[in-house]
Amino acid sequence: MKKSVPVAHESYPDTHHDNYSRTTFGFWLYIMSDFILFGALFAAYIVLSKSTFGGPAAKTLFKLPYNFLQTCIFLVSALTAGLGGASAHRKDKNKTLLFFAATFLLGVIFIGMQFNEFHRFSSGGNGWDQSAFLSAYFTLVGTHSIHVLFGLLWIIVLLLPVWNETGISHVSVRRLTCLRMFWQFLNIIWMLIFSFVYLMGAK
Amino acid sequence: MIDSHHGWNASFKPQFIGFVISFMLIVAAYRIVVHYELTEGLLIATICILGFLQALAQLVFFLHLGLESKPHWGLITFLFTALVAIIVIGGSLWIMNNLNYNLMPKMEH
Repeated sequence: MKKSVPVAHESYPDTHHDNYSRTTFGFWLYIMSDFILFGALFAAYIVLSKSTFGGPAAKTLFKLPYNFLQTCIFLVSALTAGLGGASAHRKDKNKTLLFFAATFLLGVIFIGMQFNEFHRFSSGGNGWDQSAFLSAYFTLVGTHSIHVLFGLLWIIVLLLPVWNETGISHVSVRRLTCLRMFWQFLNIIWMLIFSFVYLMGAK
Repeated sequence: MIDSHHGWNASFKPQFIGFVISFMLIVAAYRIVVHYELTEGLLIATICILGFLQALAQLVFFLHLGLESKPHWGLITFLFTALVAIIVIGGSLWIMNNLNYNLMPKMEH
């Protein structure tokens, strides 16, 4: 499976490959800085998660099956993003478009479910300004949601030129690789949110 | 990340492996929390272990951590970042617990 398609940079000297690895490494460093940002938000949430100021605790607010479904949807979108990235490397344009379109749709469902939950909380009188627990919750999960929103925007912005060009250019492969890394990083963060916010809060 | 030697960038297989492992881990965590009555310490330990394995599986199979060629800058920067994150999270919890303990001795925590 992996030897059947020649990798692009094998056919001629290294210039593109070098450029490619430099860009993906730079993007990796951005992801690492985002990792620290989320680390700080996790620390704030864990410290404040019991400070409900007389309001309902996490246990009564969260509906675990709902969040579990959301988690599964986002995990599948991480898989399709990975498959899309691999298809881009294989220069398989149709599959690239298909998989990233699937990622986009699943991402829209995920973010819709998330905003629905935010709405359920705040319309039930449990908005971000009600307690330290809710402030920390909305900050952590909201920051993740904003990342996903920008990811969705990014998918559209990247897919349009891929749609228009003939084949897939080196530039597009590089950009799509960064997008895939970003999306799968968001999935890791979401898995940690599901574990440490929802599962931990449910007891 | 950058893995011209392993061919993982163009391969579907690691993505599927990562997906299956991560799906099994998340289902396990969910079922354990929902169906079993755990004490708080045991619950925290279970979630921490499963969460750690989850993150590790996704970092390796999805983000191809540590598979790049020799200088391993991706891995080195990751380890440094993980160290910073551990200091930030662990340090915050430690100092805030101490504050609670020292300043509000009568409050149940």
